[in-house]
Amino acid sequence: MGGASRSEKQRRQAANQRLAAAGITPKQSGPSGGTRIALIVVAAVVVVAGVIGYFVIHNRQSTTPNYAVAANGTVVTAGKTDAPVTVDVYEDYLCPVCERFESRYADDVTAALNDGKIKVNYHSTAILDSLTTPPGYSTLAANAALCAVPAGIWPAYHKALYDQQPAERSAGLTAQQLVDIGTEAGATSPDWASCVTGNGNAAAITAATKAAIANPALLTNGQFGTPTILVDGKKIDLNDSKWLSNAIADK
Amino acid sequence: MERGRILDVIGTLARLGLAAVWLVSGAVKAADPDQTYIAVRAYDVLPSDVVPVVATVLPWLELALGVLLLVGLGTRAVAVLSALVLVVFVAGVVQAWARGLSIDCGCFGGGGQVAPDATAYGTEVLRDVGFLLLAGWLIVRPRTLFALDGRLESRPQVRSGERN
Repeated sequence: MGGASRSEKQRRQAANQRLAAAGITPKQSGPSGGTRIALIVVAAVVVVAGVIGYFVIHNRQSTTPNYAVAANGTVVTAGKTDAPVTVDVYEDYLCPVCERFESRYADDVTAALNDGKIKVNYHSTAILDSLTTPPGYSTLAANAALCAVPAGIWPAYHKALYDQQPAERSAGLTAQQLVDIGTEAGATSPDWASCVTGNGNAAAITAATKAAIANPALLTNGQFGTPTILVDGKKIDLNDSKWLSNAIADK
Repeated sequence: MERGRILDVIGTLARLGLAAVWLVSGAVKAADPDQTYIAVRAYDVLPSDVVPVVATVLPWLELALGVLLLVGLGTRAVAVLSALVLVVFVAGVVQAWARGLSIDCGCFGGGGQVAPDATAYGTEVLRDVGFLLLAGWLIVRPRTLFALDGRLESRPQVRSGERN
């Protein structure tokens, strides 16, 4: 390899000598024009990547939730009951794509809820119970989220469950950790801790999960998965990043 | 064929090979941004604010490196950048391995949590080291055939009548 670059150097020297013989002085200072163009292009790529990153980070301003929340069985309804658009969210707190959905759209959904443009039914489903050791984190977290409604911390707790989502195939979070997250989020009621550790909604969550799996309107390619999102009863394509603005614009 | 010419051909194959790696991996990642986000998050290294940034920028950075290598523009600089990115990838995989996470690297799509017996850290690191060798060759000897670099550099020499 060293030999090759030496021979190239010799070749270039020979060329320069011929140029000199012809009375032409080759430019020696700094990188040649071609190399400079190439370096400018590469630098531009790096700068563009940095600028995109900067804007991605700064476009994430969080919206403070100020919408009403009510629980009905295992369904938490957020927003005004007479809102023109109804969104149904079937989620599992262990599911990475649900976390992605939350992190990607939470601000837009919160803004639409605050403005009374939509109401959202959050369906607590637990299809990933077997993916923690010990099993059952999905149900435990779904139960805790239902407890967060009477405790008055649902929006903050729902967000916190995703911010602190444990990995699939990990131990999950313990009931005590779920209690602590709620206490940090402002749960003060004496029932909060016992509601979370008691896991009293577990049977209802299991039943709701079975019902969801059996509901043909919720299936994607013949299978139920989370998240499944409906707008006015129709399942949306999760790859459609404009689903919410389209849903609101149609009204 | 003289020795320099053979080395040019090897360098060209390295350049086009590395270009193919970046173009394929970048395209697969760009086509499924949600999966890319999940793959980046599964490494459990970056703060949650930074995960979406990396997941958004990375596919396009890979595609840009691929295009620059394909046309052979700024080959040495692009090879240095490629090597840096690959070293970061290897570091990410090794830390996941060392910490006992069970994830797929998401190098060519996919990614995220997998069953503990479905990890392939050794293969993934070995593959990245292979790509690093390609980048290393181009850093040491960026001269290749069919490259814009060569065209841009050789212009004055051709005009001066080197072919006399």
